[in-house]
Amino acid sequence: MMEDQEEKGNAENGIGRQKQVKDEYLLQFLDSLDGYLTLLDSLSSTLSQGWLELASARHAMGASRINGALLDLKVHAAATSLKVSEQDVDSMESQPCFTLCKWASSDNGERSSGEEKSLSPQLRHRNNSQLSEEKVSTRTGTPLILVDQQRQKSLSVFGVLVSPKLRSAQLSFERALETLVEIANLHTTMLSMFEQVHKELENTNG
Amino acid sequence: MTFNIHGGYLEAIVRGYRAGLLTAADYNNLCQCETLDDIKMHLSATEYGPYLQNEPSPLHTTTIVEKCTLKLVDEYKHMLCQATEPLSTFLEYITYGHMIDNVVLIVTGTLHERDVQELLEKCHPLGMFDSIATLAVAQNMRELYRLVLVDTPLAPYFSECITSEDLDDMNIEIMRNTLYKAYLEDFYKFCQKLGGATAEIMSDLLAFEADRRAVNITINSIGTELTRDDRRKLYSNFGLLYPYGHEELAVCEDIDQVRGVMEKYPPYQSIFSKLSYGESQMLDKAFYEEEVKRLCLAFEQQFHYGVFFAYMRLREQEIRNLMWISECVAQNQKSRVHDSVVFIF
Repeated sequence: MMEDQEEKGNAENGIGRQKQVKDEYLLQFLDSLDGYLTLLDSLSSTLSQGWLELASARHAMGASRINGALLDLKVHAAATSLKVSEQDVDSMESQPCFTLCKWASSDNGERSSGEEKSLSPQLRHRNNSQLSEEKVSTRTGTPLILVDQQRQKSLSVFGVLVSPKLRSAQLSFERALETLVEIANLHTTMLSMFEQVHKELENTNG
Repeated sequence: MTFNIHGGYLEAIVRGYRAGLLTAADYNNLCQCETLDDIKMHLSATEYGPYLQNEPSPLHTTTIVEKCTLKLVDEYKHMLCQATEPLSTFLEYITYGHMIDNVVLIVTGTLHERDVQELLEKCHPLGMFDSIATLAVAQNMRELYRLVLVDTPLAPYFSECITSEDLDDMNIEIMRNTLYKAYLEDFYKFCQKLGGATAEIMSDLLAFEADRRAVNITINSIGTELTRDDRRKLYSNFGLLYPYGHEELAVCEDIDQVRGVMEKYPPYQSIFSKLSYGESQMLDKAFYEEEVKRLCLAFEQQFHYGVFFAYMRLREQEIRNLMWISECVAQNQKSRVHDSVVFIF
C-alpha cells in the first residue's frame, strides 16, 4: 500500500515536471515570437527613417552629389561583415548564431578593430573580409575615433564635406543592419523553441 | 533709361515666366497627393504639363525632377539665345555653378571606376559643355586643366588649385569648393562692374550665397579631417561674414558655436532663432526661406539683371520642392512633407 502510494506520488511529480517543462518551452516560444514581431516593426520604422533622411540629404546637397553613379566599383574590403557560428543548445543540437562585425575593414594590410554585436566562439568566416580570429577576440577598448573614421570613409564616395543629414541616414541604416541580425538570431531561437514545443506535444499525445 | 533697348524684351519674358511659378494652392494640392501619378495629374494643369504628359507609369521621383528641369533649361536657352552683351555673359555666369558640379561628378565617378556615359546622364543639363566627357582621362588637376578645362569658362578659376597630386576624395572636395569660391568672387566682381541696380541687388544675393556657403562648409566639416586653415581658405572673400565672421567660423567645433557666431549678425539672427539648440536639421530650410524672400524682392525693381538670376534660383527652389513632395509621397511619409517645402508665393 505504502509502495503504491509512493509510486502514485512519483508519477504525479513526474507529470507535474513534464507539464512545467512544456509550459517553459511554450513561454519561451511566445517570448521569442513577441520579440521577433517587435523587432520587425522596429526595422520597418528604422528603414523608413533612413530612406527619408537620405532623401533629405539629396534635397540639401543636390542630386548630382548623392546618386548611385558615385558608388565605388573598385575592389575593396567590406566595411562590415557577418559571421555565422554554431551554438550548442542544451548540448543536444546546435543552431546558427549570427554576429555583425561593424566597421572592421582594413586597407593596405593595416588592421583596425571593429565593433561586434554578440559573443561568439571560434568563427567561420563567410565573406572576403580580412578579419582574423585574433582580432575578433578584441572586443574591449575599440576606439570610437576609428569607428568614426570608418564611417566617414564610407561616406566619402559622396564627398568629404557631407550634410549632417547624410550622416544621420548612415546611422539609421547601421541600426537597421543590427536589427536585421537580431531578427535572424531571434528567428533561429523561435524555430528551435517551436520544435521543442512540437516535440513535447507529440510526446504527450504519444 | 536705355535698359529696355537691349534688355526690355527679355525682362518682360522673365517676368512672364515668373508668373508661372507654382502657388501655395498648387503646393497644397500636391501635398495631398497619394501617388506619384496624382502628382503628375496635378502638374499637368501647370506649365510642367507638356513635359510630364508622355511619361509612362509607374513614375519615379527622379523622372519628375528631370522633366521639370528640362523646362527650366528650355526657358534659359530661349533667354540666352535672345540676349546681347552684357546680359548674355550674365546669363552664362548663372550656369557656372552647375558646370563645377558636373566636373566634380565626372571626376569623382571616374575615380570610382564608373562608366562615363552613366555619369554624363546624371550631369545637370545647364552645366554641360563640349569636352566634358574627356574629363575621365585626367589623373590629376594639372591634366584636368591642360586637357579639358583650359578651354572652358572655368579655366580662370583653376589657378588656385592646380597641383600634380593625384585626385582623391579630399583633393576633389577642396577643388570643388575652391572653384566655387573663385566663381562666386568673379561673378560678384562682374556684377559690380555692371553697376546700377544690378550691382546693388546682385551684391546682396551673392553675399547671402557666400555667407550660406561658409556656414554649410563649417557645419559639414565638423569632425572631418579638414583643418581649420583649409576650412578658412574655402570661404569667399566677400559677404557680410567677411572677414571677422570667417575667422570665428573657422574655429567652430559644433553647431552651437556656429550659432553663437551667426547670431551676432542681425540678418542671420532670424534664421538661427528658428532652430533649437544643438539642432541643424531645419537650417537648410531656414536658409532657403530667407533666400526666397530676397529673390522675390528682386522683382520689385525694374531695369536690372537681378531678375534673371532670381528667376533661375526660384525655379530651382520649386524643383527642389517638387522633389521633396514626390519623395514624401513615394515613401508614404506625407506627414513630413512640410519639413522642407518652401513656398514662393
